Amino acid sequence: MHRGKGMKFVGDSRISADRKPNIPKDYSEYPGKTEAFWPNFLLKEWMVGAVFLVGYLCLTIAHPSPLERIADPTDTAYIPLPDWYFLFLYQLLKYTYASGPYNAIGALVIPGLAFGALLLAPFLDRGPERSPAKRPFAVGFMLLAMAGVFYLTWESAAHHDWEASKKQGAIVEGADIDKESDGYKLMDSSGCISCHGAELTGGAGAPSLIDTGLSPEEISKIAVKGQGAMPAGMFKGTDEELKTLAEFVSGLSTK
Amino acid sequence: MLTKLYDWVDERLDITPLWRDIADHEVPEHVNPAHHFSAFVYCFGGLTFFITVIQILSGMFLTMYYVPDIKNAWESVYYLQNEVAFGQIVRGMHHWGASLVIVMMFLHTLRVFFQGAYKKPRELNWMVGVLIFFIMLALGLTGYLLPWDMKALFATKVTLTIVESVPLMGPALKTLIAGDPTIVGAQTLTRFFAIHVFFLPAALFALLAAHFLMIRKQGISGPL
Amino acid sequence: MSKHNVSRRQFLNYTLTGVGGFMAAGMLMPMVRFAIDPVLSADKGGDYVATKQKVGELTTEPTRVDFSFKQVDGWYESEETNTAWVYKTDDGKIVALSPICKHLGCTVGWNTDKTNPNQFFCPCHYGRYTKDGMNVKGTPPVSPLDVFDTKEKDGILYLGQLKPHGEA
Repeated sequence: MHRGKGMKFVGDSRISADRKPNIPKDYSEYPGKTEAFWPNFLLKEWMVGAVFLVGYLCLTIAHPSPLERIADPTDTAYIPLPDWYFLFLYQLLKYTYASGPYNAIGALVIPGLAFGALLLAPFLDRGPERSPAKRPFAVGFMLLAMAGVFYLTWESAAHHDWEASKKQGAIVEGADIDKESDGYKLMDSSGCISCHGAELTGGAGAPSLIDTGLSPEEISKIAVKGQGAMPAGMFKGTDEELKTLAEFVSGLSTK
Repeated sequence: MLTKLYDWVDERLDITPLWRDIADHEVPEHVNPAHHFSAFVYCFGGLTFFITVIQILSGMFLTMYYVPDIKNAWESVYYLQNEVAFGQIVRGMHHWGASLVIVMMFLHTLRVFFQGAYKKPRELNWMVGVLIFFIMLALGLTGYLLPWDMKALFATKVTLTIVESVPLMGPALKTLIAGDPTIVGAQTLTRFFAIHVFFLPAALFALLAAHFLMIRKQGISGPL
Repeated sequence: MSKHNVSRRQFLNYTLTGVGGFMAAGMLMPMVRFAIDPVLSADKGGDYVATKQKVGELTTEPTRVDFSFKQVDGWYESEETNTAWVYKTDDGKIVALSPICKHLGCTVGWNTDKTNPNQFFCPCHYGRYTKDGMNVKGTPPVSPLDVFDTKEKDGILYLGQLKPHGEA
């Protein structure tokens, strides 16, 4: 390209009047089978990308993204689980020396050391060798860390009750509940909603109270004597109040 | 016709060198799967970037319906997934993409690690890459809360408890992230939204730019 | 450079554009369809809303009828209120006019301008309409007031879709 004196510009701009030819560089003189990024290699890359995209779109169609029911802070029985890529941390915090009084060790020290070492790997492994066979320590530590992460993730996934976690988060058909009614206020004061939820749609430990199909008599029996996981004697009010509550629950429906 | 238009712009702005700078670089034999099939391990970085592009695009489109507000967040997500045409696919792209990006990035990191490609002179690029890894994890974490479903709320409560357990500045840090010392609610959601949609992506763009610039400057690491 | 080389490069460029276009389309098609959904979803409309106005009480003098209806705006459902000016024509037909001025969207009132009695009057820019909703020439509005579909059921007035004058 022409530089310096005698250079021609387009108009009064600083754009050179000489055009650079718009053709790829020639790499044929380079050693080995080097090829141009554009268009030769990019075409191959994009073909891989296109196949990948089709698979990806099929995944989104075959598996709709999960959406659990709307957040209900009153449901204390819910057992949360993080996304799969945080499961190893979640599992780590279950062990004695990484939880309770040692929580800081599990939550900060161990992950901090691991990720810190990852970040500073170039300065910890300073030898000139690149081949994994000649870097036993670096490769060994990495394999150890990976084994740890895989083991913890597997442990956490294997011991998780997936059925229950699917159920506890499922979207339940709700009903229009009059929260000002005497019946609802009684449910609130008797502690019903701490298990059955503020929308009475149930939770991890208790079924939905909507569309039970039970008569008021049956409900008052359950409220006093309990059923399944529900202990007896939950309701402590008067008979009058029990009747109001039972009629309220019996009348809950999605209609 | 297109050539004429290109020449017209090129004459005025000299754009050929700009994009030829990006387009023209060599791809050596040892990273080309067409010559050595085992070179497919070099694809993971590119695929990570591809999914990142999908994440950015689908995220932009999702905000057309989504509201970061505890009363409407869940309703709007439910609406966009079930009522809007292709909503399931667009949300699916964002949801599954978040997982895929972690998988691809993990594989990319392992490739670089086991090949010792982070050694001199590429130390800085490795560190930028690890920072990108952290940003991606943080994006996954903050994005988790946004649909405001049971999982979102309770998983975030756990996260915040972990943050609180940091010695000395734990409680302050938690309040900073959650927006309130005790409640995980409206202010937490808007904060997580802002972090997920503006702060982290801004950091991500800067780091990605640095990552790519360094690759171009130093070239890809040689064969083992 | 030989001719063969050029055509090979062209071929590569065309396939590259093709594959790139396929990827862009695959990525963007769902997203764009997602974004333009409100444009393409058919207008449901056509629901009649009950007002509190008894049809028997309507006179030839326009009366203000407030009514409320349930509005579904995406995921957001709300109770909205709206207003109509309703009267009976001499041959007993019910006319319900929208109070929204066709000029710039202010609210018109009946008979509020003392100098022009028995007309709808918009206080913002002094737009005027005759009783049948036609805009008075020489005032700012350029088209007549919109008209509600009306229906009578059990002696109660029901209002439907809002339509441009002349189509109701």
